[in-house]
Amino acid sequence: MNLYQILTRCLWRRKKRVLFAVFGVVIGTMTVVGIFTIARAGEDQMMEQLEKYGPNLTVIPAISNVDVNLGGLSLGTLSVGENYISETTIPVIRSIADGAIREKMGITEKGDIATIAPKLYINSEVDGIPVMMVGVDPEEESIVKSWWRVNEGEFITGDDQVLVGAVAAELLKIKSGERVKLNNTKEVRVAGVLEETGANDDYQIFIPLETLQSAFGKDGLISSIDVRALCNACPVVMIADSLNNRIPGVRAIAVKQVASAEMEMMGRINRFMVTLAGITLAVGLFGVGNTMLRSVNERIKDIGIMRAVGASRNQIMSVFIFEALVIGIMGGVFGYLAGTLLAYGLGPLIFGISVVKPILQYFPLSLGLAVAVAVTATLYPAFRAARVKVADSFRSL
Amino acid sequence: MLEIKNASKVFGEGETRILALDNISLAVDKGSFVSIIGPSGSGKSTLLNVIGGLDYLTSGQVILDGKRIDNMNENSLVDIRRGRIAYVFQQYHLIPSLTALENVMLPLLFSGVPVNTDKALDILKRVGLRKRAEHRPGQLSGGEQQRVAIARALVNNPMLVLADEPTGNMDQHTGCDILNLFEELNRDGLAIIMVTHNPAIAERSMKIISLCDGRIAN
Repeated sequence: MNLYQILTRCLWRRKKRVLFAVFGVVIGTMTVVGIFTIARAGEDQMMEQLEKYGPNLTVIPAISNVDVNLGGLSLGTLSVGENYISETTIPVIRSIADGAIREKMGITEKGDIATIAPKLYINSEVDGIPVMMVGVDPEEESIVKSWWRVNEGEFITGDDQVLVGAVAAELLKIKSGERVKLNNTKEVRVAGVLEETGANDDYQIFIPLETLQSAFGKDGLISSIDVRALCNACPVVMIADSLNNRIPGVRAIAVKQVASAEMEMMGRINRFMVTLAGITLAVGLFGVGNTMLRSVNERIKDIGIMRAVGASRNQIMSVFIFEALVIGIMGGVFGYLAGTLLAYGLGPLIFGISVVKPILQYFPLSLGLAVAVAVTATLYPAFRAARVKVADSFRSL
Repeated sequence: MLEIKNASKVFGEGETRILALDNISLAVDKGSFVSIIGPSGSGKSTLLNVIGGLDYLTSGQVILDGKRIDNMNENSLVDIRRGRIAYVFQQYHLIPSLTALENVMLPLLFSGVPVNTDKALDILKRVGLRKRAEHRPGQLSGGEQQRVAIARALVNNPMLVLADEPTGNMDQHTGCDILNLFEELNRDGLAIIMVTHNPAIAERSMKIISLCDGRIAN
């Protein structure tokens, strides 16, 4: 039998008081955990949506407007340029993009960084119905279009397989497994039908680049190139500039950084919420401090009794610190659970965040915070109380 | 065993200044049973507090077994409370959320000696409360609570017990039982200094010291 066993029993018998103190701690930690969990979920959701923006950069043929003059007479402007880019530009684009990212991010590993997805657009028809055919590099394209899902059938696995957009499949009455003729020459098999994306992809048929090129006699030619590097700090504008300057006949356009504006907004909301959490924590601290202070003051008589039977000041402090630890630990555990539940409930309701996940790293933090708060709030009152003259402890309060 | 020399205690300042003890000197031999008697406000509780180190003198000395305890620091006083001097209070002062047994064991827990419950149970038996060991103070009568408090005081084998109006909160019959217990303990060698305002109670002790207005009368 030791002191701490008896103390535990003592705490158990004073359940209501203890739970009240725990409640104070829970309020504080729950708000902090809840707010931070919501903030993280919001960020995660943002990142997810960022992925849906697809490419960072699109490279298209450079079209320039030339003023036409004939002996001093202006004949208007003429659009001059090709409709296609040569495939030979791809390795150059890769070296520029990867090089810039390597430099900026300090990456030393070898291998490709950016995803480079070329496309060839050809307006054609199937069974008399006009449809846009898109020659793609299936693997690269699926990385850029990360939201693609195959509804029926499977993804492209061979050069003679194609993917059909949801609406196109309906219009053309094609199902997976069926055969389609390209340009009335090359027969291909429909590997699968894509889920509806709500974008142009739904109206298109996706074909391995080489297959489409040879079917329509456009070998070595592409209409555009999507470049994507999934990193927030990638120097997209710089890459665009480099491409524009160093590769003739192309124009690189950085996808408008709507994303960065939203990220900034998110950052502001997060800072606001963190401030809120801080204030709540401070208020919570006050509450807990008050509870602990009252708890110590109520037990001044008990403290006197303990000292009269031989407890040293340190032992008195240990008694209270032990109680604070128990309260802190309970408060930390329940605070974490309550905070996560709060985030579950409020996230979707207030912030429209669809998925909130419990963040396990917050558990030790919540525990630490709660224990720190509880112990700190007890320390000073207990210290003072232990220094009261024993005789004075017994004078009625 | 215990000597008090020219002890004075002042409470408050200026207009509220009270001279609770006025130049008191007395001696208590080992194994004696002494009563300090006096009207309300005569300073007897203050004297007891000061003897036991629960309060401090303004001037003078308290000497226990040849050593001054009035100027001891808190740590040394703690040592004294752990086996030299023990206290019994008028309001019992048991910890309400602990059982009788746990209350009796409390001094053992704080003094860091290896605790065995048998010793505590034996002492409870000595005061006639073995059967009530698992009861909390709220479930015990006044007399029973005081007996638990006495058991608690005895558990560290003190040489001196200081009892402040030990029978003040109980009826005459119960008070009598308590005094019987005190007499028994004293016969077994325990020194007791008891404060009371009741002359009949004081009669049960060996020696009576009268206090009036902070001074020894007689």
